[in-house]
Amino acid sequence: MRPLHRADHGALAEALRRRVLEGSGETDANLRRKVAERAAGGPPVDAAYDDLALQIATAANRVTDPQVAAAVRAAGSEKAAFEIIAAAAVGAGLLRWQLGISVVEEAANAPQ
Amino acid sequence: MRLSEIDRGDGLANRLLIGFISMVSGMRLPDAARVAFYHKDFFGRPMGAWTHATMRGPSSWSVAERELMAMMVAKWNACAFCVGAHGAVAAKEMTRPTVAAALADYRAAAISERLKATLGFLEKLVLRPREVTPEDARAVLGAGVGAEALTDAIAVASVFSIVTRYADALAFAMPTEAEFDRAAAMLLKRGYAS
Repeated sequence: MRPLHRADHGALAEALRRRVLEGSGETDANLRRKVAERAAGGPPVDAAYDDLALQIATAANRVTDPQVAAAVRAAGSEKAAFEIIAAAAVGAGLLRWQLGISVVEEAANAPQ
Repeated sequence: MRLSEIDRGDGLANRLLIGFISMVSGMRLPDAARVAFYHKDFFGRPMGAWTHATMRGPSSWSVAERELMAMMVAKWNACAFCVGAHGAVAAKEMTRPTVAAALADYRAAAISERLKATLGFLEKLVLRPREVTPEDARAVLGAGVGAEALTDAIAVASVFSIVTRYADALAFAMPTEAEFDRAAAMLLKRGYAS
């Protein structure tokens, strides 16, 4: 049975993307966007954050204390470093959302 | 927890809240909740909104099935905290042996065929996202999963591809099994919106 009032995942994902990657924060939004792109397979970012962004994207369970400490030093505060970590995680998650829904739409809309 | 400000809370109100909840619940407030309170306007609010809608909103998947999906995403991403947290919630409404069997090998577990087919798709999406194809999606649709149900499942995988990453990057402290069980009761009752 089709549930009533399904969640609008597209709108909720977009709201998250806009707030974390475009909104105001302790860090520059352009840096957050680049970190998110890096976590989705994009080009290297500022050396202070590149290792951490890539590690979060590929194997976050292997992130190290020195990687996070370096981000805190470079970003200037724990809150700013948190924004970098959140941006990388969001970049990796939204990549999966976009690729996932795109193949479902293609499969569901293809002529039988 | 690698960021001490998240551990203690940013601002007096959050520090008091963390202390109060820990006291009332009789356990240290898990780091997942501390993150939800931290820098809330930037992250906790939009992340909590999508997570809550995905995990507790209307869907043809039960809450337990969605929690099981979250646990599996955590397994594929090697996030011990999220395996413990979401396995405990799933076990509230499925049996503990069923959850343990799915964790060991979901293809052999006593779960529905539509859930197995969906987990097969999610596993590839989580581990090798650029390799998923419309044929993969068609195989799930052919197993009796509707496009809306598959979309709901992709939302679970996407949300927990984010959660597992910040949980491990921040090094969430591991609760005991009893603490996970107690936190699971709260998550079932209150959900994820912050």
